[in-house]
Amino acid sequence: MSVIAPDFRLSGFIRSIFDNAFWALLLANLVGIPAIMMVLFYIEMPVIDGELLTPFLAFTWLADPSRTLPIVHAFMATDLFRVMAFPGFGFAALIAAATIFVERKLLAKLQLRVGPFYCGKIEGILQLMGDGLKLISKEIIIPAKADKPIFWVAPVIFVATAAAFVALIPVAPGWVVADVDLGLLAVFAVIGFFPIITILSAWSANSKFPFIGGIRALFQMVSFEIPLILSLLGVVILTGTLNLSEIAASQSAFPWIIFLPIGAIVFFTTMLAELERIPFDLPEAESEIVAGWLTEFSGMMYGLVQLGTYLKLYAFAALFVVLFLGGWHGPMVVPPFPEEILTEGIVMGPVTAKIPGLPLFTQEMLNGTLWFVLKTVGVIFFILLPRGVFPRIRIDMLLNLGWSKLIGLAFVNIFIALGLLYAGVLGPGGMLPQ
Amino acid sequence: MADPVFVALAVVTIGSAIAALELRSLVYGSIALMGTLGGIAGLFLLLDATFVALFQLAVYVGSIAVLILFTVMLVKRELIFKKIEDNRRKFAGVGLMLVTMVALGAIFIDSGIKDITTDEPQVDFREIGSDFVTYYWPALILMGLILAGSVTGALVLARREDIEENGQRTS
Repeated sequence: MSVIAPDFRLSGFIRSIFDNAFWALLLANLVGIPAIMMVLFYIEMPVIDGELLTPFLAFTWLADPSRTLPIVHAFMATDLFRVMAFPGFGFAALIAAATIFVERKLLAKLQLRVGPFYCGKIEGILQLMGDGLKLISKEIIIPAKADKPIFWVAPVIFVATAAAFVALIPVAPGWVVADVDLGLLAVFAVIGFFPIITILSAWSANSKFPFIGGIRALFQMVSFEIPLILSLLGVVILTGTLNLSEIAASQSAFPWIIFLPIGAIVFFTTMLAELERIPFDLPEAESEIVAGWLTEFSGMMYGLVQLGTYLKLYAFAALFVVLFLGGWHGPMVVPPFPEEILTEGIVMGPVTAKIPGLPLFTQEMLNGTLWFVLKTVGVIFFILLPRGVFPRIRIDMLLNLGWSKLIGLAFVNIFIALGLLYAGVLGPGGMLPQ
Repeated sequence: MADPVFVALAVVTIGSAIAALELRSLVYGSIALMGTLGGIAGLFLLLDATFVALFQLAVYVGSIAVLILFTVMLVKRELIFKKIEDNRRKFAGVGLMLVTMVALGAIFIDSGIKDITTDEPQVDFREIGSDFVTYYWPALILMGLILAGSVTGALVLARREDIEENGQRTS
């Protein structure tokens, strides 16, 4: 076994820790605290529990753990938290990162390989971090004859568009970044941006493999957008709304997949095509055109495109869950928050800690998030599965499938929905409860 | 004082429209066209017409601009256009445009459109939809037939007979 640091001395290690601590404390005192004070004085602070959040109060609250929870509560109610952390980017990026790792491991197991193994002690669990470090540290190479502005901007816009898609997804009751009244239409508008970005980045690389891949991506995405939109109309007809939160809330008794299985199948197939996944991965066909429209991307630009792709995958899976699988609905499995902690506080021997601000999350929100994540992970699993099973199909087969078969099936689905509506089974005033 | 958001959107819309005409590179021109269409979507948003704005984004920016971009990329510009630099024509065009815009604007402002005030709530898109399938159904069917006819016509025009005669796959 090789030795990473042959000159290692424990005393030197401890001394370096003390050194770092000294410098950190010095910098915090000289720079950090004045900076924090400036921020606290000049930014308008919220009122928490009837008290204005002045710097002195903020410091006492930061020092007193039992009083920090109201601050955390107030922070969680802000838009910034929603956009950056929970139903928005952070949450989605976490699921996307987990998806990348699980996909590699799952494919390896399907094909009787080992997959990522050495990075991290257990089953290569740190592989993703290693890949990220590698991508960040690599040089970004831009082809000499590339159209530089578009080439630079395309990956960033790709991630931004995927994040905009994620922002429309309701995760738990009331937990959505942008609760748009016409949410489904906004989803269609956002999906329409992906082919533009793809073809622009493919063209700007000024190389033949990206261009072929970009043209294929354009064909595929534009032609599969039509069955995608048509397959979702059945749900809209039955619920009578385009708001995604209301669509998810309308499925408290049963999910729509029970009545609209054809629509769900069509949507799932078009979803695979929109995500450029096997068997529809012609835009990236690695055995024909190197890596398709991603060929010329290097370093962190490739990393950004990859992040955007997996954010998009999460968003599509979540959309499937919201529209067909009942969103956050499920049996209540999360236990209620223990009442005695609220009334008496936590008793540890002689010490009693009274913690105001608990519970941080309501029981419904935790339960909804749990079911939503479980269902989404299930759908993502079914999206990953074909990659280990199917070969890539030809472009003419793909277009034939999209234009003749899927559109026809989507119309069948719409007629089923209309029949259920006019027969008085579902919809407003129907026989079955909603 | 005008709304700053409105002014910004108007500047984006008109500026990118001019850029779409004036830019040398056809691809950048079509990107500027996308900016124009997106700016119009923003104006619809300001007018509380979210439905129209989102359809503007989905149809014009998402589909039509893509088709234009696609066509532009497959075309060699030098084969179609020969650039003729003619400043007199250019300034005449700009002058004509200004005269037309000022005349139209004067007519609009003079027509009393600024004095109209209304308390009516915004029109719900559901009402438009139900009106379409009840009172205005002949117009809806006519539009459907026209669209179907144009799609069929496009398919007939695009059919390649030389391939079909040889018995090859066309799908």
